[in-house]
Amino acid sequence: MHSFIQLSIVVLLLPLLSFVILIFFNRKLPRRGDFVGVGILGTAFAISATIFWQVVVQAYDPAFRVAWDFTWIDLGTVPGVGPLQIKMGIVIDNLTSIMLAMVTLISFLVHLYSTGYMKGDKNYGRYFAFLGIFTFSMLGIVLSDNLFSIYIFWELVGLSSYLLIGFFFEKQSAADAQKKAFLANRVGDIGMWLGILILYSQFHTFSFQEIYANLAAGKFGLSNGWLTAAGILLFMGCVGKSAQFPLHVWLPDAMEGPTPVSALIHAATMVAAGVYFVARIFIMLTPDALHVIAFIGACTAFMAATIAITQNDIKRVLAYSTVSQLGYMVLGLGVGAYSAALFHLVTHAFFKACLFLGSGAIIHATHHEQDMRWMGGLSKKMPWTFATFTLATLALAGLPLTSGFLSKDAILAGAIGFANVEGGGIFYLIPVLGFFSAMLTAFYMGRQIWLVFFGENRAHLKPADDHHHGHDAHAAHGGHDAHDLHQEDHGIHEVPWNMRAPLVILAALSLFFVYSPDPLDGARGWFMKMIPTPATVVGAANPQKGALLGGVAAPAHAAVAATTETHGESAAPAAGVHGVAAASHGEEKGIHTYPDPRQAEIIHAGHAAHYTAIYISSAMVLLGVSLALIVYVFGIIDPDKTALAIRPLYLFSLNKWYWDEIYDATFIKGSMALAKIFTWFDINIVDGIVNGVATLVRKFAFLNSGFDKHVVDGAVNFTAFTVNTTGAVLRKLQTGKVQSYIVMLLLAVFGYFVFYVTRMIH
Amino acid sequence: MDQLTTIGLNHYLTISALLLGFGLFAVMTRKNAIVVLMGVELILNAANINFLAFSKFNGGMQGVMFALFVIVIAAAGAAIALAIIINIYKIFKSVDVSSIDSLKE
Repeated sequence: MHSFIQLSIVVLLLPLLSFVILIFFNRKLPRRGDFVGVGILGTAFAISATIFWQVVVQAYDPAFRVAWDFTWIDLGTVPGVGPLQIKMGIVIDNLTSIMLAMVTLISFLVHLYSTGYMKGDKNYGRYFAFLGIFTFSMLGIVLSDNLFSIYIFWELVGLSSYLLIGFFFEKQSAADAQKKAFLANRVGDIGMWLGILILYSQFHTFSFQEIYANLAAGKFGLSNGWLTAAGILLFMGCVGKSAQFPLHVWLPDAMEGPTPVSALIHAATMVAAGVYFVARIFIMLTPDALHVIAFIGACTAFMAATIAITQNDIKRVLAYSTVSQLGYMVLGLGVGAYSAALFHLVTHAFFKACLFLGSGAIIHATHHEQDMRWMGGLSKKMPWTFATFTLATLALAGLPLTSGFLSKDAILAGAIGFANVEGGGIFYLIPVLGFFSAMLTAFYMGRQIWLVFFGENRAHLKPADDHHHGHDAHAAHGGHDAHDLHQEDHGIHEVPWNMRAPLVILAALSLFFVYSPDPLDGARGWFMKMIPTPATVVGAANPQKGALLGGVAAPAHAAVAATTETHGESAAPAAGVHGVAAASHGEEKGIHTYPDPRQAEIIHAGHAAHYTAIYISSAMVLLGVSLALIVYVFGIIDPDKTALAIRPLYLFSLNKWYWDEIYDATFIKGSMALAKIFTWFDINIVDGIVNGVATLVRKFAFLNSGFDKHVVDGAVNFTAFTVNTTGAVLRKLQTGKVQSYIVMLLLAVFGYFVFYVTRMIH
Repeated sequence: MDQLTTIGLNHYLTISALLLGFGLFAVMTRKNAIVVLMGVELILNAANINFLAFSKFNGGMQGVMFALFVIVIAAAGAAIALAIIINIYKIFKSVDVSSIDSLKE
């Protein structure tokens, strides 16, 4: 076993250990055992960092891959299914090692931060236990080498998110939110499972490597449509977990959980899982499936951005920004900008964790005030939070010199390139939506920064009857009361060091130089060099499609080996990409060679569009920022009057496009109606049958008892009666008087005599 | 006339039958146990007359011998019967056979 595998098993099991210790013994440990969670995650991060260092920095090989597996369950040959063998395994490549380091780092920081944020909560120990199992599940997804174990950990992530979202379960809204998250995820998971089954039915294996090898060898026995369907069904898992349209509704409600949990969900663990999973299955997605993915991503990005601009809850704005950024990642994968999408996943993880932890600090400092309308002027009171929050905001908005700029720009460049290659007018919708969302992002984040940190503090403006939110939070926190009282004396102040340190670390990781020496081009950085776009296996899997595209059917493994060239040279803009035989073009320029010309063309066109993307996105971001400045800083446009002027649009956005209402009217009402129909069926038909049978049995029993009473008992009683009567008669003869016996004797003798004489006569 | 003047077997048998009838009648109808015993003696004597009559007309001595035995046994029986009656009287304070019916229990 490779030492990386051994180390990664340790990393995987450490958070589980933390969970087991804390769930059973937290009350016996000092400080409810929070140091166990923090210490274990710190250790896990240290080990992950070692793996990361050795894999990404020292080996520096884009094709690096270590795998190990064992047979977990061997059911032999199952009738009707064929050989059924379930393997478990671990694969470590560049992506895994980066994700490992990212997940453990953010989880560690969240643990550390929570020691301050959750202080005094009555379920403090259990909280850390849940964080442990959440991290464990996510690490399981990251390390899995097959669909089956990914599915197991996928469900575990769903479970742990359920536990954490509903952590304040005494609160009705939290209990509702956890159910909503769980159900929305379940919808996606069903699709994912069906997708897994389609693949399993063909290849009798769950392993990624074996499935892709089989696909590359063209062993997929069904039509191409089935392959597309399998891809889209697997993507459904991502739609649920990564909160893509139309299953995005759970994520904003998940804000009911404690704020550090939101950071964990939104950055490292839950929503990243969906994007990571699509990246894992990327090479088996057909162009049709990729188109679906790209459009869903673009719709999600745009829709969430439009909703975010009108939300007043500080965490809800961030939640919708998360949905929007996830839309970007999915869009990136859909358009084939694989490296860029994963790059965005990582950069987003850090700055979004920073933003959530920052908002947690604000909520903590303002005594559970979450409504931005009653904040303001916090920059002086909380300088550390302000600085880190602003830096992360810049990264989220995608301003140059930040990590967010690098990754978002790479995605948008890929989207432009994709639209150019696909050529259809409708495909231009994807980059357009992307750019527009970038502008909206800049606008709503500018609004948030201004409302929270600048101007006068508006806490006193809060209407008295609008207290319920804070009040609920108080009620739910319970143990916080003492803490809060302590705070009332000092008013709003900066958070303690254990909450500040994570903010600083995360903000530092939102700067460009962590990822790339060139502040304008992420492709020069180590990340995109280490995560090259893998060559698709479906071009080769489907000869017709390959022939259609004029592709060369080469095995996927050779293709992966061929992708060792770097993206470094690719920034040079090349005019007239279209129509050039992409493969040969790539060779000329010393870039990748792909067996699938479509993929090569898209990547090439993406590089070509790099500067275009920079110009447009910078312009869009500046537009958004200046709009925010005009509205909120200079007050040239009054936001309230504008809202009134475009009231329908405003309400549309404020009510989140009415998705909750639509779902309520359709699925929830529909389920209720269905349930009613079933209830009716149950009561009238099923119960009717049961009652009918019962009545029949009763009738039969009645008849039976009649027979029993009259015939059987009658026979018995009649016998008794006969005996009784006979006895009564015969008793009379036994008088006990000797004389009567003599009479009878005489009569008998006489009778015998008569009988004898008559016999003699005849 | 011959038949009326000469005493034949039939006369003996008739007397015997009458005696038997009276004896039976006494046994069946009398209430007093001693009278019943007397009826029994009548029956025995009816039998004796039969024995003697058949003995006389057959010419043998067996009937006479048998009658003698019967007389002896009747004497013994009467003694035992009287002893029983005395015991009955001790128990029931009565010798009325119609009121003694403990056999039916």
